[in-house]
This record gives sequence, C-alpha cells and structure tokens, in this order.
Amino acid sequence: MSHISRIELQIKSLEDLKAACNELGFQFCEGQETYRWYENTRGIDLDALSPEIQQMSRCDHAIRVPRCKFDIGIVKQDDHYELRWDDYYTGGLVKKVGKDAGLLKQAYTLHKIKREARAKGYRVVQKKIDQGVRLILSA
Amino acid sequence: MKEIVVDISDQGEVRLETRGFKGKACLRESRFLKDLLGKETFQQLTPAYYQDQKSTTRKYLNLCG
Repeated sequence: MSHISRIELQIKSLEDLKAACNELGFQFCEGQETYRWYENTRGIDLDALSPEIQQMSRCDHAIRVPRCKFDIGIVKQDDHYELRWDDYYTGGLVKKVGKDAGLLKQAYTLHKIKREARAKGYRVVQKKIDQGVRLILSA
Repeated sequence: MKEIVVDISDQGEVRLETRGFKGKACLRESRFLKDLLGKETFQQLTPAYYQDQKSTTRKYLNLCG
C-alpha cells in the first residue's frame, strides 16, 4: 500500500447524475424549479406558503422516484450540486435512495469514476463487497 | 502491480487506497480521482510511501588516510 484516503463526495457532473438516475429507474427532470416535500404536498398552493418554505422548495433540477410522494431537488452551489430531499417516512424516499441518499451517491460515483478512469486508460474491474461496491483501477 | 482501489459504501462514502506505488507517485496517480469526487477528509501514508522509486547509495572513500 502507499496511502489511504477518505473523500467527501461532491456532485459536480449532471451527466453522471443522469446516468445514475437512469440506472436506478429514477426520472431526471431537467429544469424543474420546485421539488415535492412534506410542506408543499399538504394541498396548500405554493404561493400561499411562507417565503421560507417557498425558498426551500426551489431547485434547479429535480429527480422523481417511482412510487414516492416526494422528489429530490438539485440545487447548484458554486462548482457543485447539492441534493435536497425530505426523509420523512410518508415520502417514501429512504427506502428507494437509502440513508442520506447513499444509493444515489453510490451510483453517481461509480459512473463518474468508470467514465473518467477509462478515458485515462485505466482498466476498471467492479466487484460487490460487503455493504458496498469496489472498483479496482489498474494501468 | 500498481492499483487504485476505490470502495463506495451503500451510504455513499468513498474510501480510496493505492497499492504497489512507491514514494509520492501514489498521490500523483490518485489526484484526479480526488479532484473528480470532492474533498479529501482523511489521509494515511503507509511505509511504501517513504520508499523512493530509485534509491541511490553513495559511497565515500576516505582520501585523507
């Protein structure tokens, strides 16, 4: 071994996020400006909600997950994108995207690494490991 | 054999390990992955990191007797 690192993921590529959504059977809604969560799905018109709730409901794109009442909002922040979503159980998202949207982040990371590593000439092997996935890159 | 091993957990956490590199080459080779994915929050260097790829031994002769 030479060194070990831990990396805090930042979503920087919409293309890879779209590919991850496609793989998981989610619908990427490009340009959708609001996403559904608890406060804005109670039958109250969005304009009638408080400015804070209206602001929290805004996004640049959204992800629709089949059989879920809530969506995932995608908000651009400087050089990356933030995922915003409500994990309240009635929305059904936790079962589909995992805790902290881990399964969506995992699918995104796999796409991102495989695409970029192959472009750099690495051979990439994917293996299932306990509670995750392993990629082995060799030159 | 030189390898970069990336584990991505079901919670979306990313752990990266380089194998078979000597010296700082491991940092150079894996830099692109860190740049692609986000911020490095932890790094542990292993003994192989401190080995140079080309180690030279200099021998000095005692010329003064």
